[in-house]
Amino acid sequence: MITDLITDLLNTFFNPEKRVFVGYLLSATLLALSWLMWIERQGLQASLKKIFSLSIWWSTSAKADYKIFFINKMVLILLSPLLITQLTVATLIFYQWHEWFPSRPQWFVSWPDWLIAVMFTSSYFLLDDFMRFYVHRLLHQWSLLWAFHKVHHTAQTLTPFTVFRTHPVELVIFSLRSIFVQALAIGSFVFFVGEKVDLITVLGANAIIFVFNLLGSNIRHSHIAIHYWKPLEKIFISPAQHQIHHSLKACHHNKNYGVVLAVWDYFTGTHHHSEKNQLLVFGVNEPSVEPDQLHSLWGMYGVPVSAFFVSLNNIVKKMLDFEGKREKIPRFSFVFSDSNE
Amino acid sequence: MNTQHLLATLVLSGICIADVYGSDKDVYADFPITTKGYTGKAKTSVKYTGQTARHVIHNALKKLSSAGNGTANPGLKAQLLAYYEGKEAGRAIIDPITNGKFIVKQTIIDELSKGKNLSEKVYKGIISGWPGNMTGPEVLAFMIDKASMTEKGYDPLTGYDYTQLISKFIMGAVFYNQSIDNYLDEKLGPQKKPNNEPYKKGAAYTGKEHVWDEAFGYFGTPAHTMKLTAKDVYDIAKKKPEALIKADYNKDGVIDLKTEMAYGHAYYAAGFDKKGKTNYLHAITQAFLDGRNLIADAKGEALTDVQRGQLKAYADVIATHWEKVIAEAIFKYAGSTYKDLQKLKTVVENNGDAVAVFRDYAKHWSEMKGFALTLQTGKKNLGETAVALNRLAGFSPVLLGNTQISGVDANGDYTQKTSDSLEAYMLHMLKIQKLMVDEFSIQARVNDVLSSLDGLAKKLSSGHSAEND
Repeated sequence: MITDLITDLLNTFFNPEKRVFVGYLLSATLLALSWLMWIERQGLQASLKKIFSLSIWWSTSAKADYKIFFINKMVLILLSPLLITQLTVATLIFYQWHEWFPSRPQWFVSWPDWLIAVMFTSSYFLLDDFMRFYVHRLLHQWSLLWAFHKVHHTAQTLTPFTVFRTHPVELVIFSLRSIFVQALAIGSFVFFVGEKVDLITVLGANAIIFVFNLLGSNIRHSHIAIHYWKPLEKIFISPAQHQIHHSLKACHHNKNYGVVLAVWDYFTGTHHHSEKNQLLVFGVNEPSVEPDQLHSLWGMYGVPVSAFFVSLNNIVKKMLDFEGKREKIPRFSFVFSDSNE
Repeated sequence: MNTQHLLATLVLSGICIADVYGSDKDVYADFPITTKGYTGKAKTSVKYTGQTARHVIHNALKKLSSAGNGTANPGLKAQLLAYYEGKEAGRAIIDPITNGKFIVKQTIIDELSKGKNLSEKVYKGIISGWPGNMTGPEVLAFMIDKASMTEKGYDPLTGYDYTQLISKFIMGAVFYNQSIDNYLDEKLGPQKKPNNEPYKKGAAYTGKEHVWDEAFGYFGTPAHTMKLTAKDVYDIAKKKPEALIKADYNKDGVIDLKTEMAYGHAYYAAGFDKKGKTNYLHAITQAFLDGRNLIADAKGEALTDVQRGQLKAYADVIATHWEKVIAEAIFKYAGSTYKDLQKLKTVVENNGDAVAVFRDYAKHWSEMKGFALTLQTGKKNLGETAVALNRLAGFSPVLLGNTQISGVDANGDYTQKTSDSLEAYMLHMLKIQKLMVDEFSIQARVNDVLSSLDGLAKKLSSGHSAEND
């Protein structure tokens, strides 16, 4: 267990497939510094002070992130062997395609290998990014899931380690999401396109995710509000847009669920541009979360379970009470919107 | 040269010689005679020449079965039967023979062992995976008859490649069955061929010594396998010129077919192992060596229950690994057949010439089928695994008109029935691969139809995600 933990910790910082790989942390620092100095016209010292502010990095909220980071690593070591592998699911999907299309049509046979690799890498990225968006949306909109996802939003200061502020139930949800998406992409592409299917990688990481991370994905969880040119923010989520997602302001609630692409939010009415000189307060404002429990282990691990059962109880009650008014869960719909233009 | 130099040279020479010949424990040879009261001239108790002769007979049948001209050929059939069931002296070794620098010591089968055939050693049970409800010997006699009438062992009307079917079925119904289901099973019992008696009157070997040697002989690996790599053994079986030096263990410049050649299942084990994922060849050979050392250490006394228990444990290692080798072969050829079907489908859809592709399909299917029959000749009743395998493979490959062989009529002719489509049959091959993985946990997995899945899964996987959005 200890060896596994050490290996996993090293892997977290030295594997380019991971969000907090040292290279990405370094690139994020340089980008933040450049932004503060050249766009916000702050001096070097002020910029460095803002980036490495102890009030952020050593806040009660940040310290809770570090604790949950270590604990979850151990939880994952125990959970991982229990989860189905994406290869197993991919094999099942491959078989299912074979049942539906016994002749196994082979597409893009004449395409060069590099083009097929580009197609697979792009398709996988789109599918993965959409599923991240969609599951994220469900985590917010379904009260049973919000009970757990709320842990991530109780962070009052954002650092790159806030990505690890996650309840174990969410770990399982995220793992299953990844397994399903990878299996669907692999099983389907290998079936229809054949053995030429390949993933374009850089230092072993998916090339598109590598670029996303190199371009400062870690700034999403920070206090540096880097924003993009507005038309670009309709395509890619800027760090400032994700910070809006964490904002306490009511008008920011349930906005910007996307990870890399903003188009999913744009087409489904949850898109929100970054704001000029945005000064945000992060966290959640809910009666179920006692302020003194926000960053305690009980608050992060126990309270969500209790909230889940309270929510489940309410749902069951409402289901049994035909006269009762059921709280409508917003339906998934495609609308073109630009909420704060 | 002073004394020190002379001494150093002698010591180094000694080391070099020791390295060439290695320690005896690694070579399946020269085990001492332990039979009480033996008075003959033999210097070792090791003897498996009969098994070597049968390997060579198998090789001859493989060559001869592909010599047909497409019409009834009584001469060829008689020749095939002379090897299969005859015992006549003077039968030539057809394969392996001298080829350039690859010089073979023996030229006739009698030089290996006299009066040997295969028919007396074929598994006598019903072969349910083959049409006609025949026993093992009947299946082989039937196949030999059909092969003699084909052109080069291939029947395009049924999709049967008799050369492959005969070869692979012999490997199972004789070599695998005799070794695993006879010598390494019932003959390890306390009453059968005891170790405190000679195997037969006047023999230089005890009951158990010879039982173990015969089981080893059927595996078909060179005696010095533990000093060779899997690739070496594979190259030896392929008679590659560069393998001569590896095969010629006693450095006499020729290949002794009794001890220095690779045959049958050992060749397949080496073929899978050289990919680097498995170690079947050396695991099996080491277990044979360990067992033989145990018997030699008993010094001609009856084996105790503990010793026999240990011997059975070695036999289990051999049986388990050998079974995996056969399952790997089924997996490999099911994969080839799947790919042939893909090509065949494309050719048919484009109105191309399907003759060559169908020939490959028939060959690979027959190899797969031969090994599928082989798998069912071991000591284990494979139950529903065998049923699934036989149903998935069918009695023949699916033919272009979506028909399959369904049986054999009273005249010995095949009957056909409507079958699944070629496309659906592809899925059968895939399911056979899955069956082999699920039931036998094979690792080499050559021609894995799903290998791309595995490769991509490894590339995409970065462990379970702990990162929030």
